[in-house]
Amino acid sequence: MEGNIMLLFLTIWPMIGAILSYVIGRKNKNLRDYFAEFVTIVEFVTLLVLCVQVVGGKEAEFVLHDFCARGLYLKADGFRAVYALIAGFMWMMTTLFSKQYFAHYRNRNRYYLFMLLTLGATVGVFLSADLFTTFIFFEMMSFTSYVWVAHDEEKASLRAAETYLAVAVIGGMIMLIGLFLLNFKAGTLNMDQLLAACAAVEDKTLIYVAGGCLLFGFGAKAGMFPLHIWLPKAHPVAPAPASALLSGILTKTGVFGILVISCQMFLHDAAWGKLILMLGVVTMFGGAVLALFSIDLKRTLACSSMSQIGFILVGVGMQGILGEHNALAARGTVLHMVNHSLIKLVLFMAAGVVFMNLHKLDLNAIRGFGRKKKALMFSFLMGTLGIGGIPLWNGYVSKTLLHESIVEYAEMIEGTADASTYVAVEWIFLITGGLTVAYMLKLFICLFIEKNADQAKMEASDKNYMNRKSMFALVTSSIVLPILGFLPGMTMDKIADATSEFMHAHHPEHAVHYFNFTNLKGGLISIAIGVIIYFGFVRTALMRKDETGTKVYVNIWPKWFDLENGIYRPLIQHLIPFVLAVICRVFDKLFDCIVYLIAKFILGPVKTRKQITVGTRFTYVLGTIMDDIVKFLNKTITKKRPIKRSFVEYFAVGQTEVSRTSKLVTRSVSFGLLMFCVGLLMTLVYLLMVSV
Amino acid sequence: MNESMILIPVLLPIVAALVMLAIKPFRKNRNGLNLYVIGVTTLVTALTVFACFSSERVKVFEIFSGIDIAFKIDDLSRLFAVLTVAMWLSSSIFQKEYLKHEKDEVRYHFFFLCSLSALLGICFSSNLITMYLFYEMMTLMTFPLVIHSLSKESIVAAMKYIFYSMGGAFLALVGVFYLNRFVDSYEFVAGGQLNAAAADSKSLVLFVVFCMIIGFGSKAGMFPLHGWLPVAHPVAPAPASALMSGNVTKMGVLAVIRVIYYVVGVNFLTGTWVQYAFLSIALLTVVMGSMMAYKEQILKKRLAYSSISQVSYVLFGVALMNPIGLLGGLMHVVYHSIVKNTLFMSAGAIIYKTGKTKVKELLGIGKEMPIVMWCYTIASLTLIGIPPTSAFLSKWYLAEGALNSSTGVIRYLGPVLLIVSALLTAGYLFTITVNGFFPGKDYDYKALEKREPNALMTVPLLTLATAALLFGMFPTALMDFLKQITTTLF
Repeated sequence: MEGNIMLLFLTIWPMIGAILSYVIGRKNKNLRDYFAEFVTIVEFVTLLVLCVQVVGGKEAEFVLHDFCARGLYLKADGFRAVYALIAGFMWMMTTLFSKQYFAHYRNRNRYYLFMLLTLGATVGVFLSADLFTTFIFFEMMSFTSYVWVAHDEEKASLRAAETYLAVAVIGGMIMLIGLFLLNFKAGTLNMDQLLAACAAVEDKTLIYVAGGCLLFGFGAKAGMFPLHIWLPKAHPVAPAPASALLSGILTKTGVFGILVISCQMFLHDAAWGKLILMLGVVTMFGGAVLALFSIDLKRTLACSSMSQIGFILVGVGMQGILGEHNALAARGTVLHMVNHSLIKLVLFMAAGVVFMNLHKLDLNAIRGFGRKKKALMFSFLMGTLGIGGIPLWNGYVSKTLLHESIVEYAEMIEGTADASTYVAVEWIFLITGGLTVAYMLKLFICLFIEKNADQAKMEASDKNYMNRKSMFALVTSSIVLPILGFLPGMTMDKIADATSEFMHAHHPEHAVHYFNFTNLKGGLISIAIGVIIYFGFVRTALMRKDETGTKVYVNIWPKWFDLENGIYRPLIQHLIPFVLAVICRVFDKLFDCIVYLIAKFILGPVKTRKQITVGTRFTYVLGTIMDDIVKFLNKTITKKRPIKRSFVEYFAVGQTEVSRTSKLVTRSVSFGLLMFCVGLLMTLVYLLMVSV
Repeated sequence: MNESMILIPVLLPIVAALVMLAIKPFRKNRNGLNLYVIGVTTLVTALTVFACFSSERVKVFEIFSGIDIAFKIDDLSRLFAVLTVAMWLSSSIFQKEYLKHEKDEVRYHFFFLCSLSALLGICFSSNLITMYLFYEMMTLMTFPLVIHSLSKESIVAAMKYIFYSMGGAFLALVGVFYLNRFVDSYEFVAGGQLNAAAADSKSLVLFVVFCMIIGFGSKAGMFPLHGWLPVAHPVAPAPASALMSGNVTKMGVLAVIRVIYYVVGVNFLTGTWVQYAFLSIALLTVVMGSMMAYKEQILKKRLAYSSISQVSYVLFGVALMNPIGLLGGLMHVVYHSIVKNTLFMSAGAIIYKTGKTKVKELLGIGKEMPIVMWCYTIASLTLIGIPPTSAFLSKWYLAEGALNSSTGVIRYLGPVLLIVSALLTAGYLFTITVNGFFPGKDYDYKALEKREPNALMTVPLLTLATAALLFGMFPTALMDFLKQITTTLF
């Protein structure tokens, strides 16, 4: 054990706290809630201290030798400390929010236990300095967070949890193969040494295979296409504080892993960058389209998470493609991660407020809920503006950076065949930005502007829809967003400076002026597209008039068009197990069958022969054959005058007659004399032949 | 130290068992009977640990010239012997409660002790002949444990068990006879002791060794002689199936290790068709066992298939014939032993308290027996290989060993198949946990009845589950010891 023990404390403390809170919870539920809050606050404060130290230039490391044979390596550099801090912040806020949200839930003790365990594991992932350590915490996190998704125990949540677990387990195991290969080929899993070790490998095929496997594992957690399936299912069914964490921070552990692969194993590798970019573009666009079509509040937010992860992946991809000049992309990636975490925290907590009052998430059932609830409206508005990329809010800054990095590359290669591809990527980027604006407008207008058919019910809880603690958590989280957005130079640039070393990014050649015209143009185009889509598509195609004449939201997404139910589930639950099982069953029963056959035919007990009542065996067999022939003839040819004689008996009678006669003959003297004569004759013939 | 110290742990259980039969009051008083058995097992445990400090060769008598019945303790013996007594001890405590609902306890205890002696005999043997004798004794002594309930299924199962075990043992015996010409002696010597004649008739020796591997592999549940496991385990009383699966199968592994590493020698086998065949069979068994378990609906049968798969992980490591692979294999011996005992004991506790045997009936079982199911869950996580639990490490080293070996396509195929099997393991073990703890919204909490078994059952379970966890997090001591074994062999 050496190094800064604070790092170990950060991962262990929540786990100890988890067990203590469970024990306390069995006696006193209120005390347990306060204790859990205490644990997360201590964690946050410690992280804050650590972060201040690290940004001040004092990096921390910790090694616990021989833990799990290979040792536990923790490290706090700029990126890790910042991200762990964000994790701590989110946990603290959601825990404060949880008390009221869970007031009427069953199995709360279980929730708190796993919530705190996951905190330790997540901080562990972000602080890990060695992929082996990452993997340990990553797997712990996957399994403990499973409980969140399943918590409600509704049919839908159990099914979603099943998907989540399957993705986590399969992802984890494939990641493990990647680690095997990487460890075998590069000889190390330490993130600081990976860069040199991977560069030293001559035949890179296996390194790429390893990278692909790791990407599968981390991408599954991040919600990358085509492994995003768990995201839109798990978020809506999990309790809101858990959804906020799942979406805001757990997906980021996947992104963290992808960053490690991209920046340590394949630094400035254009081919790898293109792969990530491609996946990123599909994820980004697909998520946004899904979000637009969804008519469930939390599902929309979940799909939006997927889309935002796509934005981040685009940034990661651009880092690889841009090579040495990737400062913009790197800064954009990190800042968008941070922004998305903070924004989703606010939005999901706001959704939680809606759910804990109405117990519904369908847009038609909750519309108009927020009309007179100022705090809720303020928070949700901040989130909407942030994620929509509206200038002066935080999302705008990171999206601008990402956008600029694409534009930069498109300009760099202008005139080549590839240039048009990147112009297309840029436009998809802008259109997705527009879609983001459109679906957030849809949610905001639905919740805060439109009126419900039963508006009185919606306004019944205007005074006491959330208590002070929840309000504190929600509003504090949402104030952060405009602060970051209004003062990007003082806040976000500092974060970017502290973290970009992790991605081996150089300092940008010139400071970025976020609010000059060229940069504002991209944002404004997106907003314009968004408004057009909202009024041109959402309000026309996605809303219909029902019987009473009011416009309602309809889900026109075709049911069969679902990757999970259409392909993955049939394949993994039925087809593959069936084929494998058939093959395995053959092998399983092979020897048993051989033994059975041997026992039946070779080594079996001796068959007792049928007793023959009349005649000898010969006549019996002959008779049976004849009888069978007769039976056959009776059926076909001699149908009209069937032969009724039994040949078994007939032959038997014949045989006894023959044997009786022959006995009489052979016993007589004449027969003896006859034989004597035959003998004499033969002797004579022999003598003649010899003499001649 | 007196050199005959080794003999005491081997002989004591039999003597104690005979004493138990001789004294009448035992047959009446089940409390006293069980305490006596626990006492004897504890004593044997202590003596075994004590005996493990000796490394003298003890010759008991000579059958004929050059062939002795002799005992000697080396590191491999220490590993398997300590594992055996530890599991016997935990089982003896667990069964005090469990056997309440079984008949004929005296007979059960008699053979429980006798089989302990047989297993220790195998561990301590110093040559192939001694080992073979105790190996056969083990088959005969565990047979009554399988047949215990005397129901029709258990008789059929026991006959099948005898058939496969004897068949396997005879296949091995053929090998023992043939090898006589090619070895200097039957003594176990690290690196083997083939003589010059072996090099001349290499193909014959290879074939003979292959027969021995398959033969001894039958106890380890290796394809093609694995058929007895899924039949014998479900019918035996739970503590007995725990031992059968956790330890008796490991004796097959021990025998295979002795043959490959101590009689024939690795150098002779590396790169030959025997190695490839052994590797392929082991991998086939790994996947087959998991798949069959995945499809199986009876809990104990599912666990039995799981044993088939997991013990073949060990055999895969043995077959790799390199230090890292063997290290992984030996680690898996320890971990699987602990984990399988935990799993079978959990299944036993469930059967004892609820009488449920089918997987589908276990909805909400986690609410009824939380401690048992938590132990079950930790053991499942271990067996799947989720870090930081223990079996994750053994799988890591198995895969590393495979990648570092020069075995053609198996080098890459091996780790992939191990992972496929791990996925299936998650499928067949974790579903029970999930259904147990998340019974769904419709679950009737009012009808919930706490059915937690008493401390006699939960304490062994908790101890083993904790061990499964801690051995994973802090494996250094164990690994140093195992490395000591592997360095002598390569």
